[in-house]
Amino acid sequence: MLRKTALTTACALATSTLILSGCAGNIENVKGKPTVYEDVSSTGRVGGVGIESQDVVAVTDQMMRDMLANPMLTGRSTPPRIIIDNEYIKNESTSVVNTNMLTDRLRIELNRAANGRMVFVGRHFSDMVQKERDLKRDGAVDGGTIRQTAAQAGADFRMGGRITSLDAIDRNTGTQSRYSQISFEMVDLELGTIVWSGLYEMRKAAKDNVVYR
Amino acid sequence: MNHLVKTLTAAAMGFGLLAGCASLPSDSTRLAERTAPVTMNSVVFSDYNLKRTWSGGLFGDGERYRLSVVQHGQRATATGTTEVYAVLRNHTDYDYQIEARTQFFDQDGVPTDVKPTWQRTTVPANSLSTYRELSTTAQPLQYRVEVRELN
Repeated sequence: MLRKTALTTACALATSTLILSGCAGNIENVKGKPTVYEDVSSTGRVGGVGIESQDVVAVTDQMMRDMLANPMLTGRSTPPRIIIDNEYIKNESTSVVNTNMLTDRLRIELNRAANGRMVFVGRHFSDMVQKERDLKRDGAVDGGTIRQTAAQAGADFRMGGRITSLDAIDRNTGTQSRYSQISFEMVDLELGTIVWSGLYEMRKAAKDNVVYR
Repeated sequence: MNHLVKTLTAAAMGFGLLAGCASLPSDSTRLAERTAPVTMNSVVFSDYNLKRTWSGGLFGDGERYRLSVVQHGQRATATGTTEVYAVLRNHTDYDYQIEARTQFFDQDGVPTDVKPTWQRTTVPANSLSTYRELSTTAQPLQYRVEVRELN
């Protein structure tokens, strides 16, 4: 009888220790409030086989870092003048993507990170610049406060590139697979040589139920 | 009495076996990684399913891992920027899709460089894979690499 009571007490003690140990610790490991915002560099709630925000961020980030490590581009005593726009970027893939998203992010992030090691020519703004230059030369407005130049800046290098893809579909399951390749090349605008190249590739597989617009 | 001793011995053996198999789940608040100090020039698994350790508790110290870091380091590129690498090892029979990113800090520990971005890669089953990242600034830097499983 005594032995049984002792066993019961020991069991009760062990159980309460276990329960108490479950309450110990300061970390409240629970999910935060639900929101409509998502991290642009991670796969979101809607994901398919096309080029998505996390791919745009990843590809431009990778290209930016790679270009800054290239001595042909950033190791010059005089910073090179570079044009990065979508004029020579072709989307030959089956993915629906605005190529300006790639070139704009790349140019802006690169310009911020380069901090003077590269100079970017805003060729897509050339008509805006020309209008102001004409107004100044016509005397309609004064000359501004910085300087006057003979002409707009010419560039040393310009970005070209292409997006291509290869699709496959499993008719039994409806699963679609897409291999995408995004290539960028920096071309010398006098010689025509390619001084830097970057390639980003990925293959995604998913049920074909996501529509890109 | 003899019966009681036998029962207790069997219970102790069972307990011992269970303790050997016991593992804290990845959402446990008792994992050592949750409160570990932030160290520079290191590679950490921010996804505790990939690697987790704990100490104390009912079953004593323990560790569970699917991936591990074989080696990591940094070197300067031709333009003076920093290249960080981490060699990851997959201990499982399955390919693992992972994401990794690098946060750079200057020598005073102040966060610097551009915002870190998740980079996706595959670590093949029972094999190695190398993750590389480049900084954008040419100053001497410290790094912290975070690895998680791709969703």
